[in-house]
Amino acid sequence: MSPELEKCPRSLLVCEKSNFLNEKSRHDIHVSKHNFNYKISVLIPECGILPANISSVIHSFSPYYLVRDLPVYQLLEETFLEPLVKKGNFYALSYNTKIDEDNAIALLSSGQLILSLDKDTYEQLGLEGRPSLYNHKKAMRFVVTLDLTDKSLTPGTKRYQRVLSSLKDRLPLRYDFLFTKYNTGSDEDQTLNKLLSQYSYEEHKPAFSQHTLKNMPCPTLYPSDIQGKTLSCDPHHFLEWLGAVNLDISCENAADSFLSTYVCPEPQSSVSQALLCTVTGFISPENVFVLLQELRQYFDEPKFTPWISLTVHGFMDSPVSWGATEHGFLKGGENLYNFVCFKNQDYWLHMATGAQDGCPP
Amino acid sequence: MEEPSKFERYVYKNASVYHYMKISLVLENGNKYITDAQFKQLIICGLKDLYGEVGASFPFDLLKFDQNELTGILRVYNSGLVKLWSALTLLGSYQNEACAFRVTQVSPFLLALSGNSRELRFGDQLIW
Repeated sequence: MSPELEKCPRSLLVCEKSNFLNEKSRHDIHVSKHNFNYKISVLIPECGILPANISSVIHSFSPYYLVRDLPVYQLLEETFLEPLVKKGNFYALSYNTKIDEDNAIALLSSGQLILSLDKDTYEQLGLEGRPSLYNHKKAMRFVVTLDLTDKSLTPGTKRYQRVLSSLKDRLPLRYDFLFTKYNTGSDEDQTLNKLLSQYSYEEHKPAFSQHTLKNMPCPTLYPSDIQGKTLSCDPHHFLEWLGAVNLDISCENAADSFLSTYVCPEPQSSVSQALLCTVTGFISPENVFVLLQELRQYFDEPKFTPWISLTVHGFMDSPVSWGATEHGFLKGGENLYNFVCFKNQDYWLHMATGAQDGCPP
Repeated sequence: MEEPSKFERYVYKNASVYHYMKISLVLENGNKYITDAQFKQLIICGLKDLYGEVGASFPFDLLKFDQNELTGILRVYNSGLVKLWSALTLLGSYQNEACAFRVTQVSPFLLALSGNSRELRFGDQLIW
């Protein structure tokens, strides 16, 4: 058999272990740099009802907006730039655009506008960019990065006029967008609504759901053993088990079963119940951080379980994963991370990416 | 007193032994009653047709099967991914009825199969 048939796309898993109370802990940076989050899932073993404080944090997540047919140049207009882009905490991502087929546009909280374009669009638009890191033999995809907070792109400058006229007149790109803004004060609540009133848009709240799982095997994890050599289970097996829990896959199969031989990884113990809750939508990193802070406080009172887990899935079609690191879709577009929080405020952070991704920070 | 935790960082490249596939079976004349065992057997037959007895002699798991939607989640060793995927692509009939497998998602992480942003839909369809 040809060895070519046995090849498969590359994947990366970064596992970090630290303590939330450690000054140098980078958990806040990792969360804030992962700009576009599609789904969050929280797993709390030995818990039947979602604690009120966690529930209220989830229900106060910022709403997100689906704006239909928005011209891309609007994101550069002064009405958008000053109140939204430059103030930060504002995220935009083109909706229903596949990163491996179509053009995709993303606006990060830092004010960088990323345009991931196919060859024809890039040549017609005429803006300076660079070839994608994940081109095969011919350059078919290009990435244009515009720092909207940079002095050279202040309204009135030559460069600003050039960029604006490219997007407005030369090749007017229009897409459906997902917007979200994390409100730090109360006055800013209405800014976005006012600006969007001239377009067709819908406001959505992230969708929430929860299940209580009964009598299930659960891997044993010790904070000191992240590699799974002695006391805990291996990180890949743990993430596989988390996937099985999220997808409602049975972990109790015989080794000689025809259908599936999947079992919960060792070492394991049995828990009488566990709570799984998920939130889906277009979720800002600030919301994720607030939830993480709340989950850390779960252990302020004594609890049966030694650990709880928070998984965050990124958008498959986002042009970036962490920060401005380019992200692509080869056989899959996974860019997810998972926190395991322990009683003593130790944590594990697993960051997983697929073939067309830089190494997570 | 426990010692404060030291910082540790490990990077694993291609360390996932398996790949996972979310697939669905589409039948020309609408859904039939198919059990999970029949579903798996269909895939095994497709593999044998394409690669022969020896070529198809690698294990894969049907982790989950939805009888109503005819969707499933498969787990296969990395070395078997290409063969399994190609067999699914070329499988054309079930009990003399035309059919096709649709591969919805593939990932080296099972966890990634639970968060597919391409499923985010608005309007009449629910987001879930």
